[in-house]
Amino acid sequence: MTASNVVFAMVIVAAFGLFAWNARRLVAQLQLGRRDDDRWNALGARLTNLLQIGIFQKKIFRDSVAGPMHAAIFWGFCILTAGTIEFLVAGVFTSFSYSDFLPDALHQFYTVNQDIWGALVLAAVSFALFRRITRRVKRLMGAETHPNDPLLILSWIAALMLTMFGDNAMELIANPAGAGHAWEPISAGIASALSGTVSPHTALHVGQGFWFAHAALVLGFLNYLPYSKHLHVVVSLPNVFLSDTSGPAKVGVLRAMDLEGDVEVFGVKDVEHLSWKSLLDGFACTECGRCTSVCPANITGKALSPRKIMVNVRERVEQRAVEAGVGLLGRKATPPSTANGEPPTAHSLLLLDGYITEEELWACTSCRACVTECPVSIDQLSVITEMRRNLVLGESRFPEEVMPAFESMEQRGSPWAFDPSDRAKWAEGMNIPTMAEMAASGEKPEVLYWVGCMGSFDDRAKKTTVAFAKIMLAAGVRFAILGQEEKCNGDPARRMGNEYLYQMLAKDAVGVLNNYAVTKIVTACPHCFHQMGNEFPQWGGNYEVIHHSTFIEQLMAAGKVPLRQDLHEPVSTFTYHDSCYLGRYNEVYDAPRETLRRALPVMNLVEMPRSRDRGLCCGAGGGRMFMEEHVSEGGKRINAERADEALATGAKTIAVACPFCMTMMADSIKSRESDVEVLDVAEVVAGRMVVQ
Amino acid sequence: MTNVFAFAESRLGNIRRASLEAVTAARQVADQTGGQVHAMLAGGPGIGAHAAKLAAHGADVVIVLEDVGFRHYNPEALVATIAARLGGGSTGYRAAFFSASAQGHDLVARTAARMGLPYASDVTEFTIGADSATAKHPGYTNKVLQNFTLKGALAIISLRAGAVLPKESPKTGTVEPISSAVDPASVRVKVTATEASGGAKLDLGEAPVIVSGGRGLKEAANFTLVEDLAAAFGNAAVGATRAVTDDGWRPHSDQIGQTGRLVSPDLYVACGISGAIQHLAGMRTAKTIVAINKDREAPIFKVADYGIVGDVLQVLPVLTEAVRKAKNG
Amino acid sequence: MKIAVCIKRVPDQDVRFKIAPGAKSIDEAGLKFDLSDFDGYAAEVAIQITEKAGAGEVTVISLGPDAVQETLRKALSMGAHRAVQLKHDAAVHDGNAIAAALAAELKAGGYDLILTGRMAVDTQNRSVGAQLAEKLGVAYIGAITQLDVTTGMVKARRELEGAYELVECALPAVLSIDEGIARARYPSLKGIMAAKKKPMDVKPAQLGEQRYTLDSVELPAERAAGRIIGEGADAVPELVRLLKEEAKVL
Repeated sequence: MTASNVVFAMVIVAAFGLFAWNARRLVAQLQLGRRDDDRWNALGARLTNLLQIGIFQKKIFRDSVAGPMHAAIFWGFCILTAGTIEFLVAGVFTSFSYSDFLPDALHQFYTVNQDIWGALVLAAVSFALFRRITRRVKRLMGAETHPNDPLLILSWIAALMLTMFGDNAMELIANPAGAGHAWEPISAGIASALSGTVSPHTALHVGQGFWFAHAALVLGFLNYLPYSKHLHVVVSLPNVFLSDTSGPAKVGVLRAMDLEGDVEVFGVKDVEHLSWKSLLDGFACTECGRCTSVCPANITGKALSPRKIMVNVRERVEQRAVEAGVGLLGRKATPPSTANGEPPTAHSLLLLDGYITEEELWACTSCRACVTECPVSIDQLSVITEMRRNLVLGESRFPEEVMPAFESMEQRGSPWAFDPSDRAKWAEGMNIPTMAEMAASGEKPEVLYWVGCMGSFDDRAKKTTVAFAKIMLAAGVRFAILGQEEKCNGDPARRMGNEYLYQMLAKDAVGVLNNYAVTKIVTACPHCFHQMGNEFPQWGGNYEVIHHSTFIEQLMAAGKVPLRQDLHEPVSTFTYHDSCYLGRYNEVYDAPRETLRRALPVMNLVEMPRSRDRGLCCGAGGGRMFMEEHVSEGGKRINAERADEALATGAKTIAVACPFCMTMMADSIKSRESDVEVLDVAEVVAGRMVVQ
Repeated sequence: MTNVFAFAESRLGNIRRASLEAVTAARQVADQTGGQVHAMLAGGPGIGAHAAKLAAHGADVVIVLEDVGFRHYNPEALVATIAARLGGGSTGYRAAFFSASAQGHDLVARTAARMGLPYASDVTEFTIGADSATAKHPGYTNKVLQNFTLKGALAIISLRAGAVLPKESPKTGTVEPISSAVDPASVRVKVTATEASGGAKLDLGEAPVIVSGGRGLKEAANFTLVEDLAAAFGNAAVGATRAVTDDGWRPHSDQIGQTGRLVSPDLYVACGISGAIQHLAGMRTAKTIVAINKDREAPIFKVADYGIVGDVLQVLPVLTEAVRKAKNG
Repeated sequence: MKIAVCIKRVPDQDVRFKIAPGAKSIDEAGLKFDLSDFDGYAAEVAIQITEKAGAGEVTVISLGPDAVQETLRKALSMGAHRAVQLKHDAAVHDGNAIAAALAAELKAGGYDLILTGRMAVDTQNRSVGAQLAEKLGVAYIGAITQLDVTTGMVKARRELEGAYELVECALPAVLSIDEGIARARYPSLKGIMAAKKKPMDVKPAQLGEQRYTLDSVELPAERAAGRIIGEGADAVPELVRLLKEEAKVL
């Protein structure tokens, strides 16, 4: 070992030491958050996520341009890291080489891969730089982004690759017959191109220069990361592994709040009220903007950008870390500027109001497009919901038009102020028993039909209700309804942050259902479907809950729905609008489409550009149904954006499977003076039934 | 104890229709008890000129309190004067009628309180017996009728507008000028101004009539038809559906429905409104609902008392003209 | 400033009421109860005054059976400071008697302002505010839609039919609050938790003689089923006739 080896060893130790010190601070910063969020369960599912979403870059490929580009860099990095380790070890122990332990063929394979992936990374990085500089990619822009950081990082990676190739090529020129040289097509090409102009002696010195430059770039890169949004490189894989949002848990189930205990702050006012995992999400975000580019609120010009939410979380954690004496991790944290340029107050520094405004939070439709899109499984939605909880439970701050909905849910068991005794009016004359009637005669139905508030009170939705009931009657399903015992299950309250009202209603509903020992429920409302199927277990309500589209499809598959056989109708063109709570929340994509196909074998079903898990929300989710949509200059209503997309398919009928989507789509279609029909899948099927 | 008192409400020197209703009611009772009707007018100089009108509706005596201190409503001086009149002397009354108007509600409650008596409020039907009276009075947002017994020698009643319709029954109407029981200037509660709100836009929450427009109007410019009808009513405000305010045809403050204003006027005219749940939630408690819509199946017809199936653009001008005539004629 | 707000517990009005057997009262089965709307506005006004001043105390007071404690708690959760229940189990309709009971409690309280709602939305009598002012011997302004309370003075606006009045008086005073000033806030969970720890006194109500009593209740004649009276402009004369003669709104 020479003196220079020893010095290099010390440099390596110092570099990794600095990195370890920063990593420890990262952990300390995460510990600022709520720690009661266990992420070490369901290891199998987590590993699957890590492989699919992390290693195999499943979500990255949803973007057909940036996807392959990023995958090339990512996979290149994974492979080149092996080379970098060899490189660093050889810096200390000069004779170290993998060729000493690897069989020749394997070593050859390794070397070729190093060389080729180096070139791929260089190409991908060059393309990325080119794209960033020459094309104005919309999703990469935004006030919350740090546009210079990626330019630096990409250049840095390019320099890493160039110095690697430089070092290799010079090595080949200086020592053409050297031992351990395997086939390195790219490096060899460079070497042969330069061998005429560079002498072996010069190459030896230039090579040393490249070697040192590469070493400095590697160790510098490692320690620059914590000071950049590109900490992403280190944090992403753990983040995917630790995420619940695309993996082990049922998707979109909100945290059950403890409302009885002595709670100081309800929901989230500042970063320490967030789960540590949400803070990690902030560090995992690299501002790629995929979330914001699919956000229905953002697309239509509203204040919300899910990316900004995560950037704000990271910025506030960094600020909070200084206050808490946990120290700076990244750049010097800059507090948000107050609107009128006044110095920040204690309140203006908080995540809520200081960084994130009420307006942004209420713009969210809870459609989950952001979460679904995020390549590193960040959960923007839970941050938004937790902050809504603080607004409502802690401060009673919400759009004033929401008040009648809250009051009516509490007083009348429905967000609309309708007389509860009218709830089952649609069923008059249909001979549908209530659970109470069945229980009185000692019977039990096969399935309980949970009608939902919209299906009970809204004239348009009632047509769907009746259509579905007729299908079940015709198919001989023995079902019952709760009648006046049915009340709102609280879902809209929960989505709007009113956990108190929600728990009151949910516990009541579970009480009613358990009282009748209900085991199987069918509903035509995706919001009720999600709530009762996925969230009721929190309150001891465990039922098999089926959406009516699935239920009808099963009945049709079993041949129980008496359809007319007159198939010689003109071929009609349909498009199907995915409901968020049916689709992204519960992955029911095929049942409604299959139901349509079975009902209308000659139908032409055209898909909208944004469909299935990319479907655009109708604008009514997350309690938006009960809020005003304030359209800004140049903005648009969400349902108008979606209706235009549906109309562009040329379909004559827009099929939906949700009463909320029905209202939003029908309203927008009406305002476009279009004669395109909006029908629920149940109505389509009922319309095809043999008239009885 | 056979005479009957009636307070004749006036505003800024003009007598109000409600005063004729109070006098007519008093006349009915006096005819039954065989007593006299004493109607009281209070106001600034010149108010006494209306005495003849009260006499024509059955006032035997018109008590006139004419004082510059009563140009505006002067509740404390008025209460002192009326209580003194009702309470003592040989002119003992069996009943006293007030109007259940904004001012009447105030006056009757204070007067009864001053006398330490209960009273029947906002009455739609009544009977006066020897030492007790009965009164019917709507409650529970007018969805339930309550029947009360009012005990005592003097039955104080405020009458809901329209409960008794003015009827002519000419009497002599001897004018009896009186002065205020207390100095009208030395009171604690002072009305400093009385202004007609006619010029200003009526608030949706206050207006007895609302004319509301939906997308059936086709375009923003056609809202003038809705405004014209509101103007013909005279006491109407203009509302709109969410679809219309969303499209910027009308300001958001005009929106009626779940996310807008929740209203229950006496009359709601829905023009070109289909009746989405969002809208119905805001107006279905109106007392009378009229709907004009081209779609016979529209849900609005399910809540409407009177429906016209037709193009709102054609029906509205005709309706406006007819309402204008009915109001003026 | 010391403020008292008199509130009443009433059933939710957005339902079709039924009459209880015997027709002495409505059928309360299945009904939800809450603070009367106008009383909610009054409580909100009082709370806003103390919040703005950063000082003062709001006492809410209600007459009725123990169930009114729930309504008092709601007002406490909105931000009132303490509550008094004047316990009386039977329904009372005589405004004069109610005012006497309230006055007995409020007389010695040293209140600068006493607020009531314009009316209780169930009985719709609108008599308590003025009667209470008389019993206490203080100034009264009723059915206020705009309010400005400054040092020792109240300036208010009252809506009349098609007109309005501007009224003023000195404190102390009893005011009854109409809609338009303030919407009752939605209590935050924080407020609900805090309300559990606020003081609530229970005292017997000193009602005195009741001379205005409820004999029976009934439902008004069923509203005639809606009907389509015709098509197009030809139907207008019939509509106008019905509005005039049947609905009596013209």
